[in-house]
Amino acid sequence: MSSIKQIPVIEEKRTNPLARVFDELVRFCRSRSLFLLHYCTGCGAIELPPAMTSRFDMERLGIQPMVSPRQADILLITGYVSIKTLKRVILTYEQMGSPKYVIGICSCTVNGGMYWQSYATAKKLDEYMPVDLYIAGCMPRPEAVIEGLQQLMQRIKTGEAKGWEDYYRNYDYYLGNQQKLFGNDWQTPTDVITEAKHYDLLGEGTLGEHTALLEQHQQPLEALEMRLGHQVKEPAE
Amino acid sequence: MRPENYEAQRQPPSNEFELNFGPNHPGIEGNYALKLKLHGDQVVEAKADGGYLHRGFEKLMEQRLWIQNIALVPRICVPDPSPMELCYSMAVEQLCGLEVPERAQWIRVMQLELSRIAAHLFTFGGHAATTGMYSTMYWGVADRDLLLDLFEEFTGGRVYSIYNIPGGVRRELPDGFLQRVSETLDYLESRLPDYDNLFFKNQVFVRRAKGVGVMSQEQALAWGVTGPNLRATGLAFDVRRDDPYLVYDQLEFEIPTEESGDAWARTLVRRLELVQSIRILRQVVEALPDIRGPIRAPIPNPLAWNVPAGEVYTRVESSKGETCYFVVSNGGPKPYRVHVRGPSSMHAVQVLEKMSVGSRIEDIAQTMFSLDACPPEVDR
Ligand code: SF4
Repeated sequence: MSSIKQIPVIEEKRTNPLARVFDELVRFCRSRSLFLLHYCTGCGAIELPPAMTSRFDMERLGIQPMVSPRQADILLITGYVSIKTLKRVILTYEQMGSPKYVIGICSCTVNGGMYWQSYATAKKLDEYMPVDLYIAGCMPRPEAVIEGLQQLMQRIKTGEAKGWEDYYRNYDYYLGNQQKLFGNDWQTPTDVITEAKHYDLLGEGTLGEHTALLEQHQQPLEALEMRLGHQVKEPAE
Repeated sequence: MRPENYEAQRQPPSNEFELNFGPNHPGIEGNYALKLKLHGDQVVEAKADGGYLHRGFEKLMEQRLWIQNIALVPRICVPDPSPMELCYSMAVEQLCGLEVPERAQWIRVMQLELSRIAAHLFTFGGHAATTGMYSTMYWGVADRDLLLDLFEEFTGGRVYSIYNIPGGVRRELPDGFLQRVSETLDYLESRLPDYDNLFFKNQVFVRRAKGVGVMSQEQALAWGVTGPNLRATGLAFDVRRDDPYLVYDQLEFEIPTEESGDAWARTLVRRLELVQSIRILRQVVEALPDIRGPIRAPIPNPLAWNVPAGEVYTRVESSKGETCYFVVSNGGPKPYRVHVRGPSSMHAVQVLEKMSVGSRIEDIAQTMFSLDACPPEVDR
């Protein structure tokens, strides 16, 4: 697989000036109230308690840990992801509501780090899901984590953090890599393609050979239809 | 993944249901999971589901030079990494017959005890959080950070120090460091009554933790339990005293025990051990200035270091229990086989599975934190 993939930034400013002001306000509010999913995937997680509690205190930035993926905004991948964990990480990521942001903490998420030879870990995280920000280091200090979170806030405010849109637009690429790792019958309960249609993010890369494979065995789940609030498919009768 | 394939649908109706507890769950320590079978909120059966943190350490270590492995071993147990480094270094020293200078041995004791205090503060902070007392956790983590500052000063790393190498330690202590250690110890000692009032005497903690996750001494011995968890059942066994390494035989300390063997006793033993660790550190701080000499025995060129053939088994008392390494060399530049025997693989798998049965679902997190299991070390 080619090396690190560039996430294209798609400029889309609405023409109506009032709408633009509104967009900016929404982005500002979003960047000031972020919930961090509490999922410790690797050893970098040991620096999160200091960052969250009294000494470094990320709550002063408006960032708080949150226990359920549905209510969280940020998925922190704190270190190496073994293949077994990666499956759960992808399930979790797809369950989170959009807009959602992924931060890869630790060198292990960038290129495999210490475990570049290991048979059990996935090396490059951004082959499997779009990563908005990396914080390199083995392990990064709490100051670095907080600095990274501040940068993410800045990027949300300016509208650059658009990894989640990229996941819908290039779903085929990510699914292909996932299938390479987990086997061709890999599928998640979330129907990403339908969601992409819902968000109007059906890009050129959404459908392809890998998603075609998916259609052979996937059926949309009722729960998803309920969440999106409208009928996705005609009832089979 | 399709709903019609769910196992549950094909089973006859029953009052029991299955619950995945973790890996993405705040009540679980790290990336680890339990599959629970529940009747109401009573656990009928528990099955540990590890492997989320597997990296294949024992295989990786066979592919790297003896000296490179020093950077790898602390990652096996993240909250308490120093015993791992030391245990591996001791194994290599025994294979080569290296004599460690006395000053290095005292410095190593200091590192181990600082690491033990840091790990204990973290653990009972975690235990407090599972009973809803977040301020203890905030305090514990903040006080642990003072120790991490000390680590940063003398080893260069906050969490992973990578300070021991076979033959000794890497660097001399900075100027005035012992002074700062004793200041930190003074501060920690002044904090202990606060911790007692906030947490250990708190009725919320006492009532919730007493009688949870009980094991008897016979069970503990049969299940391979070591460390504070064993001492909480009344057996005063500690590798530091019963099979001394480094200079522990020249130090004065006691081995606190408790009788009841429940979550309360296990956490209390850790609290009592803090006092003993502080006592050991005070002796080290007093003795170190008079012990002069090199901090490292001469070792051959580490990049072309063929360790003589043989096999050794070393053990060290970490904050979680007995940490052991079995190292085999065939005379080559890389280890032939390294086996890590960590304490948590027993605590988090077989002990937790058995203890959870019959307990209420809200006590599982407490049981796990009081056992002080460390998932990265279970999975390795
Ligand atoms: S980069 Fe270092 S600290 Fe982070 S997960 Fe990898 S080995 Fe652990």
